[in-house]
Amino acid sequence: MDESTPPPPDIDAYTPPPPPSASTGTPTDFLKGVVGKKVIVRLTSGVDYRGVLSCLDGYMNIALEQTEEHVNGVVTNRYGDAFIRGNNVLYISAAEPL
Amino acid sequence: MDPSSSGIQEPFDLIRLSLSERVFVKLRGDRELTGVLHAYDGHMNLILSDVEETIMIVDPIEGGMDGQGTVKVAKRKMEMLFVRGDGVILVSPPSRT
Amino acid sequence: MASQILPLELIDRCIGSRIWVIMKSDREFTGTLLGFDDFVNMVLEDVTEYETTPQGKKKTRLAQTLLNGNNICMLIPGSEGPESDS
Repeated sequence: MDESTPPPPDIDAYTPPPPPSASTGTPTDFLKGVVGKKVIVRLTSGVDYRGVLSCLDGYMNIALEQTEEHVNGVVTNRYGDAFIRGNNVLYISAAEPL
Repeated sequence: MDPSSSGIQEPFDLIRLSLSERVFVKLRGDRELTGVLHAYDGHMNLILSDVEETIMIVDPIEGGMDGQGTVKVAKRKMEMLFVRGDGVILVSPPSRT
Repeated sequence: MASQILPLELIDRCIGSRIWVIMKSDREFTGTLLGFDDFVNMVLEDVTEYETTPQGKKKTRLAQTLLNGNNICMLIPGSEGPESDS
């Protein structure tokens, strides 16, 4: 019975192990590079949020600044700050060169 | 590490800083709420007071080319409300500028 | 047992190549795979998003993009996607 109890999974602190061979292209690397930059966050509903990425966590919950909500290419709302619940996120795309 | 300007380390900080403030909440099913945020948890379950709910009811017109229909807006007020977190899409705190 | 190739090993071998991603919904992506994690969240570059809407197919070009693995259905390595010949 030398089996120690594994630590509880802590998704917020989750960082995937670096793949042995691959270059630095993992989701974690991407996110480090994109914080503070303009991004497009598309939800599964098709609604887009364009703004500056403040931060995010392991659930893909997102904090955006200077956010514009786009529906079918039309701005439908503006928010100074916005918290987006991660389960709605389809993708996060860089809107300026990284 | 170095979040821009506002000193927010993680997304939930935005919500924490909005406690006792009036927030805007966008929900699944074309619903929106504004209310004073009293409590939240990691699921984004929320307790709001002095709430106004706005419901967008879309009647798609048959044969409409652009997929648009007439939108009816219904509003109602609630004194105190529990919001289940899985319905939450977006929370926007009052502007801190 | 030893020669078994795990599904994610196959995807690991695609890093640096084009890949076609088909979502559970009417949505597809092609791009160059830069990396992925245990949830199969994927980082893609030079991306095209294909949406099937009632108004027809819609194409969107994207730069570097993190695609949420939650909604992915299938991955086709080395393909240019819906516009490829086959």
